[in-house]
Amino acid sequence: MGHLSGERLYEIFARQKREDRLEHIGTVSAPNPELARVYAWKTYDEATWFEMVVAPRDAFRAVNREEVPFTLHPAETA
Amino acid sequence: MNPVQTGSFKSAADLSDPQREALAGVLLSLADNKRILGMRYGEWILGAPTLESGIACSAMAQDEWGHGRILYATLKDLGLDPGHLEHERPAGEYLSSELLDRPVPQWPDLLALNLLFDASLSVQVQALTDSRYEPIHYKTRKLLEEERFHFEHGRGWALRLSETEAGREALAQAFRKALVPSLRWFGRPDAEYGDLLHSSGIMLGTPDALRDRWLAQVIPVLAEAGLSELAAEAESGTELDWSDWNADRRRRGEGGPDAGTLARIRGDKNRSMLMD
Repeated sequence: MGHLSGERLYEIFARQKREDRLEHIGTVSAPNPELARVYAWKTYDEATWFEMVVAPRDAFRAVNREEVPFTLHPAETA
Repeated sequence: MNPVQTGSFKSAADLSDPQREALAGVLLSLADNKRILGMRYGEWILGAPTLESGIACSAMAQDEWGHGRILYATLKDLGLDPGHLEHERPAGEYLSSELLDRPVPQWPDLLALNLLFDASLSVQVQALTDSRYEPIHYKTRKLLEEERFHFEHGRGWALRLSETEAGREALAQAFRKALVPSLRWFGRPDAEYGDLLHSSGIMLGTPDALRDRWLAQVIPVLAEAGLSELAAEAESGTELDWSDWNADRRRRGEGGPDAGTLARIRGDKNRSMLMD
């Protein structure tokens, strides 16, 4: 995914009910955590979420696929 | 000023005529401003700096139009005709801020509406949320939840632009234009509507108290974004100039939304396709 300089990718996790597990539901590009929260909430508004959290992608440490964490298919190496 | 009363008004029938008129004025002003503000957000869906901020503008536009619709509907209980108010008034009858009269030219100008003026509207709504006038309660809670994200959007972008000197200057210039209108919007300290609604517990706070709440919310963000000069100007804003203030319409002077804006907020084109 291409993104502007000064922006980071943020990964979004959410659950609809208290008893649900948090699931990875998507990604937004944002220049700061404040905007990442707003973009996540406004972009992924297809459900009434019990909880939603965001974290910068680079805060995650790969455990096994160290070269390409968070890739959805082989061609993407963001 | 009379002491604040307690107890509650279950319906509009419990209000006196002056209370009903003053409350209708506040609700119509909120509805008109939200209707046009929604359009201003909508105008940036395709022009915002990033895809994500375009989506946010689209969502904020929908929120504002939803809030406007809810607020217009509340006026029915107060004896007004929402259909007429939404679709048939000339520009000179809109109770909308001069900030919204025409499309804003640049992204920082939209952020000024987003962070400063939208916050004025929310502070006013908040003052009605725990009102003694019960029919308002249920309608404003969700609205305020949505507005938290509008403010956060404005804050996030203020922080982003303030990272460079050019961005900070553009921001300061746009915010300076919107500062006084956003502060004056609450009305004169002795505004008649304020005294009537505050003393009866329908609005929790005088115009000056609402202005103080706005300052408490906005000034920390101005400071965070390195706009300390502007923050200082805002704090000394109690010395507002009221010489051209139109109290009935809560705006500067006469005037109103321009012709293009008016046609779109009234939905003139849509209605021309309706056949009776």
